[in-house]
Amino acid sequence: MEHAHAPEMFKSASAEALADRTLKIAIDRTTGTAERKRDIAVAAFPEFTAARDRGKRIKDHVIAHLDHYLVEFERNAVASGAKVHWASTAEEACQIVIGICRSVDARSATRAKSMLGEEIGLPHALADAGIERVETDLAEHIIQLAGDPPSHIVWPAMHRTREQVSVLFKERHRQPHETEDVPAMVESARRELRDKYFAAEVGISGANFLVADTGAVCTVTNEGNAELTTTPPRVHIVTAGIEKLVPTTAHAFAMLRLLVRSATGAELTQYTTFHCGPKRAGDADGPEEMHIVLVDNGRTRMLVEGQREMLRCIRCGACMNHCVVFRQIGGHAYGGTYPGPMGAVLTPTFSGLDKSRELVHACTMNGRCQEVCPVEIPLPALLRGWRDRSWREGLEPASVRYGIGLWAFVAQRPALYRLGTRIAVRAMRLFRRRGWINSLPLAGGWTDKRDFPAPPGKTFMELHRARRREKVS
Amino acid sequence: MSRTSQTGARERILGAIRTGLGSPPAPPQDIAAEAAALLADPDLIRPSLGAKDLVEIFAEHFITQKLGGTLETVPNLEALPEAVRRYVTGHGLPPAVALQPAAELLALNWDGVETRPTMARDEAVGVGFARWAIAETGSLVFHSGPDMPILFNFLPLHHVVAVRAGTILRHLEDYAEAAARIGAPRNAGLVTGASGTTDIEGSYVRGAHGPRFLHVVVVLG
Repeated sequence: MEHAHAPEMFKSASAEALADRTLKIAIDRTTGTAERKRDIAVAAFPEFTAARDRGKRIKDHVIAHLDHYLVEFERNAVASGAKVHWASTAEEACQIVIGICRSVDARSATRAKSMLGEEIGLPHALADAGIERVETDLAEHIIQLAGDPPSHIVWPAMHRTREQVSVLFKERHRQPHETEDVPAMVESARRELRDKYFAAEVGISGANFLVADTGAVCTVTNEGNAELTTTPPRVHIVTAGIEKLVPTTAHAFAMLRLLVRSATGAELTQYTTFHCGPKRAGDADGPEEMHIVLVDNGRTRMLVEGQREMLRCIRCGACMNHCVVFRQIGGHAYGGTYPGPMGAVLTPTFSGLDKSRELVHACTMNGRCQEVCPVEIPLPALLRGWRDRSWREGLEPASVRYGIGLWAFVAQRPALYRLGTRIAVRAMRLFRRRGWINSLPLAGGWTDKRDFPAPPGKTFMELHRARRREKVS
Repeated sequence: MSRTSQTGARERILGAIRTGLGSPPAPPQDIAAEAAALLADPDLIRPSLGAKDLVEIFAEHFITQKLGGTLETVPNLEALPEAVRRYVTGHGLPPAVALQPAAELLALNWDGVETRPTMARDEAVGVGFARWAIAETGSLVFHSGPDMPILFNFLPLHHVVAVRAGTILRHLEDYAEAAARIGAPRNAGLVTGASGTTDIEGSYVRGAHGPRFLHVVVVLG
């Protein structure tokens, strides 16, 4: 499995993914479990609908006053002793992080999983700067050893089976597992990473929430790797998108109830931590410096380009777990940092619509993603917005433009349209076998994967007219 | 990353937000009122927990939801060392523990259990004291400080935590309120069950990086 895809290779990458049987099994195991657990959690929380509406309004409120909350957060974070940095682009954000690492002569940096870090290309920037990067989340550790990009925002190593993980660990761990079971593999990773937490000069994390009125950064994990990453090193660096703000800790809790149930089906993550500044006088442990890098990277453009609702996203992964497309092709085919429905909406902002127009078409518009979204983002409408723009900007290929042009020409001439459909339904019947069509010229894209129901011998208009005549006579 | 370019980024971002929002900034007191209104009627947006006793609700959420959580109650804090001794013996471990330097724990008579103030990177047993617990989620709450090294929650394989029944709060918001009164510590941690991962094929395994076992001792008196 090689996965150095890009969004413009979506079609070939998804064909490749569809042909991979092992991948399909791996996707089904993780997304199926996630779907079941979320269902149970939501059923056990009858207030979910009201909580979801409130969560959506909290995010909308923050976005409507984003500059106010950013300034308030900055003021309180600085008061706690943290340093706040601002970055307009991914490159600026990476430069700031590398600059901080160099200021303490860092040779090694531990990292707790952060999708924003992936988005801005931090792994590459650290490698280019000659700083050893140690991923501490188990899934990130697996894909770092394998050289893969993440394939899911909550389970980045979802595409790897236990057998593949076992081979990786045996090749790369100093004291690998001896029995072929998952607990032994987890234990092997625990042993491997233990001393690395204490050897790093810098620990880097993301943020699930930035709390404006305290200046604290909230991280959530189930493994406990975030605190082991951010406590022992001299320096803790946080990279966070500017949309991560909440007014107060209580607002963070209202959002956490939605986030955790939607992601893993639990009531709360095992470790929910609020980091507020560096080590204080008398503190038993903690970093000497804390830096927070606030990253725009296209988010302010989303405000003006019709993607404002996407800034509500709290990165739970429910939309991809419930997406019929994602569940067939997995995350890598999307070719961006973020896969699935939310990724198809975000990637055009980061990579350009010209490179990612195929992603916005990879949707059946069944609406399931919006239904399960804990902040009710209208993902199908946002995808339609990108499709519309792709058409207006002339990015759609000639075949699509001519095809739709031809259809429009015929559709505006009822007599011609009826003649066309009369011929079509009769022609299609020539290909039917027991009421179904399993091979049709020019429609292989459909009939290769499933049969097409054979139409009745007459068009709707013909049947309608015949019935009306019967009634009259 | 010169100072000027970063100041530039700050102004660029704030300016782009202002332009993007397309409306003049609201007065801070209006924003605060709107934010407060979004927390009104909290019972509509959080799980109702019934009329049971808080210890019972906490225990239900702590034990049933998370694998790896065990719980016992003791009549008073003086009974904690004996509970710890029973726990280590029950797990076939030597009676030696790393003790969180909390005044409540240091004041106890630990005869029969060897205690150390430091914690090794691979400590077998750590004994801690939670400042609060939250019934809604079965969480333990720790605030960093001289008496609470954050790593004490993450390094031991077995974590035994005492919490007073009187400090069990009903909902997450009750903790937010209590924390707001005393000010944010450097590190506020909510611990909900033992460390776990589902990163390999979704199968649940305990003790990913943090403790594999979490035992709570609720002190009733």
